[in-house]
Amino acid sequence: MLAADGLMVFYENMLALNNISLRCHENQIVGVFGANSAGKSTLMYTLSGIILDQKIKEKMRGGEQITVMGEITFEGREISGLRPHLRARLGIVLCPERRRLFPESSVMENLKIGAYMATRQESRDTLDYVLEIFPPLEKLLRRPAGFLSGGEQQMAAIGRALMAQPKLLLLDEPLLGLSPAYQQVVMEAVKRIREAKKISIIVTEQYARPVIPIVDYAYIMENGSGVMSGSGQELLDNPDVKAAYFGV
Amino acid sequence: MQTEKRKERIDRGIKIRSDGIYALSSWREITYLIAPRFLLIGGLLAAPLLLHFFPYWQKVLLIICIYALLSMAFDFLANYVGLVCLGGSFFVGVGGYGAALLNKYLLLSPLISIPLAALFGAAFCTLLLLPCLPLRGVYFAIITLMYPLMMTRIIEAFELFGGTNGMMDIQGFGNPWIEQYFLVVATLVFLFALRRLSVEDLGLVIRGIKDNDQSVRASGINITFIKAQAIFYASFLGCFAGAYLAHVYMWAGLSMFALDFSIIPIAATVVGGGGSLLGAVLGAILLVPLSEVLRAFGPLRIVVYSLILTVVIVIKGEGLLNYLSRKYHQFERWVEI
Repeated sequence: MLAADGLMVFYENMLALNNISLRCHENQIVGVFGANSAGKSTLMYTLSGIILDQKIKEKMRGGEQITVMGEITFEGREISGLRPHLRARLGIVLCPERRRLFPESSVMENLKIGAYMATRQESRDTLDYVLEIFPPLEKLLRRPAGFLSGGEQQMAAIGRALMAQPKLLLLDEPLLGLSPAYQQVVMEAVKRIREAKKISIIVTEQYARPVIPIVDYAYIMENGSGVMSGSGQELLDNPDVKAAYFGV
Repeated sequence: MQTEKRKERIDRGIKIRSDGIYALSSWREITYLIAPRFLLIGGLLAAPLLLHFFPYWQKVLLIICIYALLSMAFDFLANYVGLVCLGGSFFVGVGGYGAALLNKYLLLSPLISIPLAALFGAAFCTLLLLPCLPLRGVYFAIITLMYPLMMTRIIEAFELFGGTNGMMDIQGFGNPWIEQYFLVVATLVFLFALRRLSVEDLGLVIRGIKDNDQSVRASGINITFIKAQAIFYASFLGCFAGAYLAHVYMWAGLSMFALDFSIIPIAATVVGGGGSLLGAVLGAILLVPLSEVLRAFGPLRIVVYSLILTVVIVIKGEGLLNYLSRKYHQFERWVEI
């Protein structure tokens, strides 16, 4: 479904992504694990195309020079030059790190903005679905999103991403700052979304343990390079990986 | 894949070599460090001499320096403190009237009344802006825009300080050399003093407030006091420019609260490149003569002026100074990956 080959990203002269290749097949959950500064977020920005906007913005204000290289194909179509809003229309939707909700809009409005490109019927159905998998949101619909707790915000952020009718959902550190209990809730929800909506999901996370049970395939990144990949079980069996990413 | 090329920006060797104290060991490195500064200082100091036979352009030089001061004040407040201040005309007006009053009623000579007016004017402006300091962004900008309007109406309504006619017969400088060098030297001194300030401890805190005022507060620093200090410095520059203007025109009137003094510094900062103070000065040095040259277009002057501004901002949005300093310090080359 999504195939990325030889992705390289430079921030000025610093290599942030070094020749990363990644595959995500239909209806698969793919995990990307790595420590801080491994390049997970850069990878997400590159797949969703937001890096192209950053590049232009930096150029306008004379900041860092960002170089992006490599090929990304999505459903057989070459998309590496496509701007992020066009990629979102194709179905690649990013749920960014630290949620980036619109803090002064209510949860309902946040969800509606996500559904801007969807038809009325789709958006009504998806809204029902979001409230079904995240029941706590039902009571919070009128509350400004800035006043929600971390876990509730994460639910709202995933909900907003779902409202955009993704075929491929990119979740960037969805567990950031959540309690273990909430982590379970969110991961359960991710699993249910995959089964109900038949979409593919790519999840990045620093700590692999809560994520590994639900992924079909996983990549491990270090300093911008992909060092290892395999199914969840394969990674679990590797002693080095165990020490570094599972805290055993 | 392997044949692709990437443009790489690398610092020049001489920049690295002249970073530390060892720069003193070679004339080349010393020249590299001093040349840009010398260009500005020497250029500004030589300008009055070079323009000796063009009295009209000597006046333009004064206006350049006045706008340079205002641009510095704007740049300092906007890019270091994080307060977008449209109060350039407020500062100029307060400084101008202050100098006029000091000169007329206390009979102080210009060289004394200008610094005093700047000092009292800055205190006055800071006091008036103090209640607005918690405001941010566009709200602060609107308040600073309202003050000069308010001042004009008050002066008009109560016929203060000569009412709409303004205050006439203010003492001029007499000697054109003193008139020019006083301002040119003051501009340079303020430029380097403010640049120095912004890397001192106080400047560090000030930039911290711009980025995240809550964290600064969490470090036990009273941000209102710091912000008030920053406003004081900026309005000192503005009032100095205003006081000077009053003595050059030998008149202080309502047009000192004109919007030009608020708007043109913004354009200068954007064109020159914000965030370095030097860029603001460079912008003023370019824009003021440009607007004089464009007088040839008659009524279309503002149209051409705006067009040039728009094109510059669209093409070189980073600002001229940032572009130039990048070219000076770095070179580009293509590397294979």
